[in-house]
Amino acid sequence: MNPMIRKELRQRMRERRGWLLPSLYLLVLGAVVAFTYFVTTAESGRGQTSIQGSTVGVVLFLTLAYSQLALLLLLVPIFSAGSITIEKEQKTLAGLLTSLLTAPQIWWGKFVSSFLFVLLLLITSLPVLSMAFAFGGIGPWEIFSATLTTVIILGCMSAVGLYSSSAFQRSVHATAVSYATVVVISVVTAIIFFVRLQMYQSAHEPAAFPGWYGLPLNIRAPMYVNPFFFLTASFASPKQLYPTWLACAGVFTLIGALALAFTLRNLRRRGDV
Amino acid sequence: MIDVQQVCKKFDSKQALDGFSLHVGAGELFGLVGPNGAGKTTLMKLLSTLLPMDSGTVHVGGLDVTTEGREVKRLIGYLPDQPGVYQDMSVREFLEFFADAFQLKGARHRAAVDHALEWSGLGERSGSSVEQLSFGMKQRLVLAKTLLHDPKVLLLDEPATGLDPMARLDLRKQLKELQAKGVTILISSHILSDLEDICTQIALIGGGRNAAGADGHSVIQLHAPQAPVRIYEVKLLGDSAPAVQIVNSTAGMRVIESTSSRLVVEISGADEQVAALLRALVLAGVNVLGFDQRAVGLEKRYRLAFQEKRP
Repeated sequence: MNPMIRKELRQRMRERRGWLLPSLYLLVLGAVVAFTYFVTTAESGRGQTSIQGSTVGVVLFLTLAYSQLALLLLLVPIFSAGSITIEKEQKTLAGLLTSLLTAPQIWWGKFVSSFLFVLLLLITSLPVLSMAFAFGGIGPWEIFSATLTTVIILGCMSAVGLYSSSAFQRSVHATAVSYATVVVISVVTAIIFFVRLQMYQSAHEPAAFPGWYGLPLNIRAPMYVNPFFFLTASFASPKQLYPTWLACAGVFTLIGALALAFTLRNLRRRGDV
Repeated sequence: MIDVQQVCKKFDSKQALDGFSLHVGAGELFGLVGPNGAGKTTLMKLLSTLLPMDSGTVHVGGLDVTTEGREVKRLIGYLPDQPGVYQDMSVREFLEFFADAFQLKGARHRAAVDHALEWSGLGERSGSSVEQLSFGMKQRLVLAKTLLHDPKVLLLDEPATGLDPMARLDLRKQLKELQAKGVTILISSHILSDLEDICTQIALIGGGRNAAGADGHSVIQLHAPQAPVRIYEVKLLGDSAPAVQIVNSTAGMRVIESTSSRLVVEISGADEQVAALLRALVLAGVNVLGFDQRAVGLEKRYRLAFQEKRP
């Protein structure tokens, strides 16, 4: 076993946040489930509409899937962006780099430990996510594709967090840049898309939306790096995953791979340890 | 064992190393001194493969640090100027992690960790958290970690900084023991008295270049194992000419300074040579008022090399 992974996992599980964050995370998700359930069923209770169990299941599942992704995107920088800067801050990086550990081994140890912790959160939430089964309307495929998509997004963001960590000297700066990245890909891309969509529609026939694939690629492009759009694409049936879901998966994998390459370069070339 | 040739390294606009050269023989305990910003830490980082150089060549044990970095890492133990520890690990866990990082396996792994605990004097605290150790103990722990894989070359950057006098004495003793075992040690320090006590030679570095001492040499010989050269001052009553004649006619001696009442003599050889000179002077009827070894300390030489150059 890579000694970095053993060391990192040992250290992470000794931290207070090792048990505090999963507890808080599950509490928040539980609160979201309870709130969504009561809001959805309250309308039915007032007799305004008749809501079927499958509708409650779908609403619960979608709310949980998006809430979970939002929460985990907020948590990923906490685990990844401080991974390498902490070694710089406590002056231990030189010891690692002059040992026989290679830069990829160091990266892999850091990545696995931060990613496994995020996966732990994801796995602990699966029972909550599966509650939607009880109401119907959701099958194993939706759970699987949403979880797989979330895992790809989180893996990419963990790699981006590690890149920030390798590029900066202090954890606070690396974490700030990681959060800025999360905001850019989640919010700024959506704003750019909607602004350009408005401009496009006002310049063309405003009556009808031409459909996703009817829009020019330069308008659609920002959304391919948007994690919430990627998650939305995962709700399609297996035959409809191509091309949108696959394009998003390719983009996120590419971002992760670039972050990995730049992190390794930083680890190999930087002497400011 | 360490060969640095015309090495240059620039950080943005600052030239950290500017054609510095150094040769350290096998088994030497070699010092490196110079003012702050002279390039000592940069040189240590180049030697330890942490930094790439702009030009020049650096070899450790015959291996090129640029192209054979991994093999160089097997050969060296590097103690940075600000060594860090994992505070949340136990002493044994810390050593075990680095034994793993140096790919020590099985019995060798256990033996290396046990030896490091014994060598550092932290055996009884192996289960304690590193956080609970004093600064000196942490320094010993990091040095022990540096020695886990039995390196042939030790690169120590300011290892005595922050240590109390007893810990410094212990460190000096440990370094002498390592040298006696054949380990080549390059040590950079501002504590000149420590270097003077343990080093065989000391290189002067200033502004990223080899700095010349008062005698024009950039390497100061301190405790050369072969033919020690010592300087003696002889105070005389009366004419110094007969004394000059005696000195110059004796093998291994020469007058390097002479006035009417004083001679400065360079003597190569053992204590018997010194005693023989004094006996010869007295037997020849020279009135010797004083006969003292003139120590040109490292601090004095350092001042001569660097003081005039300070802004």
